[in-house]
Formats: sequence, structure tokens, C-alpha cells
Amino acid sequence: MKTALRLENISVPGRLHALSLSVDAGKVVGLIGPNGSGKSTLLSVAAGLLPGAATGRVSWGTEPVSTIGVLERARRVAWVPQEARFEFGFTVRSVVAQGRYAHGDDGAGVDEALARFDLLAVSGRPVDRLSGGERQRVLLARAVATAAPLQLWDEPLASLDPRHGLELLALARSLARAGGTLVFSLHDLRLAQELDFLVLLEGGGLRAVGAPAEVLTPDRVRAVFGVESRLQSSLCLSLP
Amino acid sequence: MKTPPQGLVVAGFSLLLLLAVLSLSFGDVRLSPGQLIDGLLHRDEFAATILWQIRLPRLLVAALVGAALSGSGLVMQAYFRNSLASPGLLGVSAGGAAGAVVAIALGLASFSLFAVPFFATAGAFAATLVVLLLARRGASTERLLLAGVALNALLGAVTSYVLSAHTLTYERNAQVLFWLLGGLEDRSWEHVWMAAAVVPGALLLLPLGRPMDLLSLGAKEAQSLGVDVSRLRRWLLALSTVLTALATAVAGTVGFVGLIVPHILRLIVGPEHRRLVPLSLIGGAVFVVGCDLAGRAAGGLRLGIVTALVGGPFFLWQLGRSER
Repeated sequence: MKTALRLENISVPGRLHALSLSVDAGKVVGLIGPNGSGKSTLLSVAAGLLPGAATGRVSWGTEPVSTIGVLERARRVAWVPQEARFEFGFTVRSVVAQGRYAHGDDGAGVDEALARFDLLAVSGRPVDRLSGGERQRVLLARAVATAAPLQLWDEPLASLDPRHGLELLALARSLARAGGTLVFSLHDLRLAQELDFLVLLEGGGLRAVGAPAEVLTPDRVRAVFGVESRLQSSLCLSLP
Repeated sequence: MKTPPQGLVVAGFSLLLLLAVLSLSFGDVRLSPGQLIDGLLHRDEFAATILWQIRLPRLLVAALVGAALSGSGLVMQAYFRNSLASPGLLGVSAGGAAGAVVAIALGLASFSLFAVPFFATAGAFAATLVVLLLARRGASTERLLLAGVALNALLGAVTSYVLSAHTLTYERNAQVLFWLLGGLEDRSWEHVWMAAAVVPGALLLLPLGRPMDLLSLGAKEAQSLGVDVSRLRRWLLALSTVLTALATAVAGTVGFVGLIVPHILRLIVGPEHRRLVPLSLIGGAVFVVGCDLAGRAAGGLRLGIVTALVGGPFFLWQLGRSER
């Protein structure tokens, strides 16, 4: 199995402590943990975006990120922040097209990305007049438009409605089937249960990694999140 | 992909040319189109003296100052991700003025043509560094404006001190007052050469439009999309500071140009910097040449006063709108 992302002994003062992790290619990976456990920091570091404060080594595939140029990085990895503030009224389409910056602004795949995230109807709207969920979809569409094989998304489901959330999971699975790797943070443990692989963080360190059934044991969920968990039938949602 | 706004660039240049002709014709002595051509070609020595000694240098300085301040404002807005950032409000112009005033007070201005621009640049850079410390990138409007208020007051104190410490040398004080008011009176070819460095600065700015788009929506995002953010920021900061300093060195503190011109253009052509960079440079020149013309038509209002009369209300209106 090819490794898509490898973190070795990563430390960020006050946020992550000597964390090591490796993620296989072609997987949909969930990053879970209580608030402040270091999920966002981990994603930033994995994207190669915290060079100043972080120590340790990040590799994509077999290459250390530090040896990869800025433009090439953008072709290999896409990163989506939890929340974006848009000061200027760029149109939805032009923000999504920014995903092609590292490809010489060729505009390839922009329409597909807009369609996938249900944004064609609002493609001419300024992004500073969108709702939170629409903004999130714009950022995700921009990330997908980069066609980067490793996608790192920070709480992409946080402000999406149920249908867009399920569509995002379906898209993640299809990207993974095509050989891509998706790592995203989420709070919904029921959804996490359905992913290929889970990484559980606690207090800036790794608590458990593995298949969801191995990671989300009732004892561990109680210890880390302070909630009781049991499997039983409840409302199930799926795409028609 | 969108093409560069060639039509608008042509329209901007046409407007600039029209204002230039008006600016050259209008004054205490009115010149007809025929006299204008004869004067420029030295066929009419009287008109030639007026044009080549007085009006042409003034026109060129006005255009260069306008382009510099407007381009500088546009860059600061993208850098701070705040459409209310501009050289005047952030205190960078005041830094340039304080530097220029120190150079004049120390008597350095009479030694070298480049003393004033050099000191203005040093002052502007000092101000830029302080703004960076006070207001981090992506700073809120309140933080940026408060940093600007503090810095403008501090640098105003430096200028006031220089004024009060040199009250005995009347001639130098008159020069210092000139910087505080901002104006284009008695501009000579020396000033045109001083400001000529605006041209290479503007040319360096042109290719940075596209990465500025990405930076203006967030530094980390831009970095992840392939922009070398720290390098881009160094360039933007250096260019915007030097442009402001040069404008201040030749025309004193002229406010609001860097705020108002990019703002209006953003309303017309949208936020894409590939369009905004060339258009802001031309638009700034149009605005300042126009304001200078209006000031002269109003019986000799100084440039800084005219831009403030136009820009002050505009700024208040924008501030009200951004509250929304």
C-alpha cells in the first residue's frame, strides 16, 4: 500500500506533541477529537503551512515537503480552512478558478467543480454575500478544482445541510476510488463510523488510529469525549 | 479566462490625455490649441516657456503622484485584506512627510536632489514597520484605523517638533509647511526626475495582480494554492512604501487618493487585481490631474485640500456602508 502522507515527530508548541502518523493512499480518513485537541493544527502542518512554529518532518508520498517548491505543492495537496473571511466581492466562479493558479490558470475542471458542489446557479454571485454553507462549498470546490491527489479539509461538514453533507462524502469516496486521499476533521462520530480509517486526537497527541470499529470503542469514546455510546437503530440518511 | 481590460485602459489613457490638454491650456495665461502645439514645439517662445518651465513638469508630477498613491493604496488593501487601508490612513504618508521634513530642517535638501526622497522613503518604511507591528495581517478595520490614528499623531508630533525647533529659519519653515499641505506649486523638472522612479515601481507591480487576488482572500489559502506568500508580501510592502514615499517627497502629504481610486474602480470592474492594478495606476493619475485642475479653477486650492474635500466625505460614506 502506498503512503500518501507521513508525519514524523511533529511538534507545535502548545498544540501538538511529538506526533507521528502515516496515511495510506486511496483512503477516506476522518480526523476526530474534542475541541482544541489539535485537529486544525495537524491539517495545517500536513498541508505544509506552518513552517515557522512546527518541528518534525512532513512527507507526501516519499518526498519531504521541504524539498518541494511552492507551485508543485499546490498541485499535490489542497487544503480547506474551517472558515474563510472574504473581504472582496470576487465571484464564486473566480474563487473556484483560483484552484487552477498553480496550473497556469488554465480553468480546467472549474465547471465540473462548480456543478459537483451545486454552485452553478450562484457562480456569478460575489462570495462576500453568501451564507456560511455556500462559502464552505465554494472553498471545497476550489480545493477539488486543484485536482490535487491529497485533499485536507478542516471540518468540511460543519455548515453543510444533510444533502450537501452526504454528497460531499460520496464525492470523497469517488475521489478515493480514483486513487486520491482525503483527510478531514469532523465532529459527527456516527458519520466517522462510516469512513475507511480514523485518527483520534486528544490533547495534541495521537490517542488511537485504525478502522472505525477499533478506534471508536465505547470505553474510549467515554474517556475522550465524555459521552456514552452504543449501536442501535436510529434515523438513517442516504442519497436517493 | 478573462482578458485584460484593454478597452478600459484605452479609455483611461484617453481621459488622462484630455485632462492633460486642459491642464496645459488652463491657467493665468490661457493657451489656444494652436499655441499649445507651437509652444510644445518651441515655435512660440512665450508659450514654450509657460509649458516647458511650469505646466508640463506640474502635469507630469501630478500624474506620477496620482499613479503612485493609487497603486500603493490598492496594494495595501490586498495586503491587509481590508478595503479601507491606504497610505494616508495608515500613516505611511505621514512617515514619508516626517522624513522629508527632517531632511529639509537639517538642510540636507540643498545638498542633494535625492536627500528628500531618500529620507521620505526611510520615514515611510519606519511607518510601515510600525503598522505591521500594531496591526497584524487580515486585521480588522478598527485595529488598522486605530493603528493609523496613533501613528499619524506620533509622526505629526515629529513634524511639529521639527517646525518648532527651527522657527528661526523662515525659509525652511515655509518648505516644511509645504509638505504638510501637499501641493504641486512650483514643481520643476527636478521633481519630475525625483518622481520618475514611480514608473519602474509601477511596472514591477503589473505582474503581481494575479497573486494579489489570492492573497487578498487569505495568506494561508494563497500559500496552499501555490503563491509564495512571504516573497509576494515583501515585494508588495516594498513597492507600496516606495511609491508612497516618492509621491510624498515631491508633493507632500496628499490624502485619500489611495483609498478613493481603487474603491471606485472596484465598483466598476470588480475585485480582480489583474484589472485593478493597471487601472488604478491610470485612474490615480486621472484623479490627481483632475483634482489639480479643479483646484486651479477654484482659484488656487492646494492639491491636498482638494483631494481631502473629495475623499473625506467619500471615506465617511464607505465607513457607513461597511457597517451594514
